[in-house]
Amino acid sequence: MGAGYCVIGLEQTSPDSFCSTRPLPPKAFAWREPFPFKRGDSIYFEPVPTVAKRPHIEDQQCNGLQPTDRSLGEAELVECLRKAEFSSTLEYLFECQPQSSSGGGRAVWVNPQEAKRSICGCEYDNIRFRLFPERDGFNLRAKLALASGERLDSIPIVDREWCRFAGSLVQRIKRSDPLPLAERFMNRSVANKLCATLKRFARIGLPRPRGDQQCWLMQDSLFPQPNSFWLDEI
Amino acid sequence: MVMAGDWDHSRAVDLVNKCVSREMRPGIPLPGDSVDLVNTGLIDLMGWVGILTAIEDETGIQTFGNLWPEGQSQSIGSLVAEIVRFKIARKCEFVGARTPEPANSNIGISLVGWGHAVGSLRIGATAIQAECNLAAGTISERAGIESVARVDGNESELTLAQHATEIALQTANLDPEKEDLLVVTSATHLGFPSLAATLHIRLLLREPCCALDVGGACVGVIYALATAKALLLATRQNVALVVASEVNSRRFLSPSVPGEFRGLFGDGACAFVLARSDSVKGDENLRLGDFIWGCDGTSSAALRLSLHETGTVEVQFKGEQLAKAAALHLGRILEGLETLAGSPRTSVDYFAIHEPNPRLVQVISQNSQIPMDKIAQVCKSFGNLGSATCGVGLSKALSKTRASRTAEHRPLIFVAAVGPGLLWGGTYLH
Repeated sequence: MGAGYCVIGLEQTSPDSFCSTRPLPPKAFAWREPFPFKRGDSIYFEPVPTVAKRPHIEDQQCNGLQPTDRSLGEAELVECLRKAEFSSTLEYLFECQPQSSSGGGRAVWVNPQEAKRSICGCEYDNIRFRLFPERDGFNLRAKLALASGERLDSIPIVDREWCRFAGSLVQRIKRSDPLPLAERFMNRSVANKLCATLKRFARIGLPRPRGDQQCWLMQDSLFPQPNSFWLDEI
Repeated sequence: MVMAGDWDHSRAVDLVNKCVSREMRPGIPLPGDSVDLVNTGLIDLMGWVGILTAIEDETGIQTFGNLWPEGQSQSIGSLVAEIVRFKIARKCEFVGARTPEPANSNIGISLVGWGHAVGSLRIGATAIQAECNLAAGTISERAGIESVARVDGNESELTLAQHATEIALQTANLDPEKEDLLVVTSATHLGFPSLAATLHIRLLLREPCCALDVGGACVGVIYALATAKALLLATRQNVALVVASEVNSRRFLSPSVPGEFRGLFGDGACAFVLARSDSVKGDENLRLGDFIWGCDGTSSAALRLSLHETGTVEVQFKGEQLAKAAALHLGRILEGLETLAGSPRTSVDYFAIHEPNPRLVQVISQNSQIPMDKIAQVCKSFGNLGSATCGVGLSKALSKTRASRTAEHRPLIFVAAVGPGLLWGGTYLH
């Protein structure tokens, strides 16, 4: 993942179905600051001819994003996402078999030559968060129990709102070593809130392939979205 | 997994070298001990996380990744140093690693968490009688059932088990990742992956946490407790989760199941957290005692259930014969538990027994001279919950006695059940 915003949207293809589209700036994969849109905003863009490389078949270059006066709330957005690419099994997420790291790690990857798309939604039944320390902060990851009875054991969360929420949480904990406490709060309080709702939905995405021909699965969106009021429980 | 106490410097070096080489590109030699793996681009952050989680799995240091000091070099040398340092400084916090048996072993198994959940629907006796084409009073008067608990369309053995387990873990103040063993019993969950595997996944337990299923039907929870206790002692692991979950309403939905049998059953689950404990130290947690069990084949024809080729359940149910055998054996189990626990039943605070139906509970109470208020009477409101019946009774008893429990005064609870076979089993907690 490079710097900037990787934007993925939905295009309505029939009254009851959507497909994902990823508007790209002319010469990059991400939109730079200032980026004036928020999740759920309806935007308009004029596509330009694009050669999308598998598995990022949703790529669509354009010259800019224009606002409209419409914006979807979270519930409405999730409803639309459920009508877009959706899988009830791990294998169908990208229509190929995810592979475990041969090194024994818990993250999984797919071969970009085999994957048929780079984004897909799924339902989950349980979640546990991990916050791994990194030089510049932390790496937010999750274990997900999917509704299919399968599980993803170590998937990085790149959802902007969740990363910001976790960052705010860590900042609020006035300790030299805040991550264990933050992780406990995420798993006891926040995860319980997520599991108590029926709106549990995640969008799993693939990054751009690098030299190793492995696209590691990542969590692009996690619903419900975090609520800053939850932090008041600390 | 190796024992926590086994980690010395050379062993830590071997492990770290193994974990690091797995994450590096093939053909690249291992760098020197002080080379920063991430800064030099030998591995990326995904690989670093892979190394940390692999070390967690191998050593049982569950929080190894969290403990990584900010700003410390991400090198082989520092990984080795952290493993050795952790072993010396925080050996007692190893989770999942086996605890060495102390000299003059006096280890016991304590029940530190419990919970139960039943189906969210309540079906009154009158409605059950109508549904099962039974004469008025068959369920309400003859069996004494007021209502049964049933699942709704969103509930299953898995969701009930999950709910009960979450309550049990909350009671124990434990995270799911502390569990080393998961022992599950269910007579109604048919198919693979088994309920233990499915629940393991749903609860997001650690991969090295053992998941296994045991049978026994209505005695299942006692057999599961016995299995968990034995495994905790034999493997010297620390924490086990025991779960029973039944959704009878779906399994017995077939028209081939007699209404007077089907109408007795409800849906529910129970869960218990067991932990190794040093019995020299006093605490308020109840210790799981010894077990008695057996199988009396003379009554085996009183209840037979089988799956027909078409998948429907076929039931052979001789109610009167089964009731007599059940009452007889439950009485015998209580006698056996008196001997085992070294305490007369008059000193028992609660009886968590299998409850086929409330009338039979009354008979057992009279025959065995047990006051009714010392029995949970689960089946009156929820119906016969199969393996979960005596477990829900135990869960209720534990909640009831929690406030008054001290290290000096721990209540005595007898647990007894019978099931098809006729299988029987019992244990006690004190």
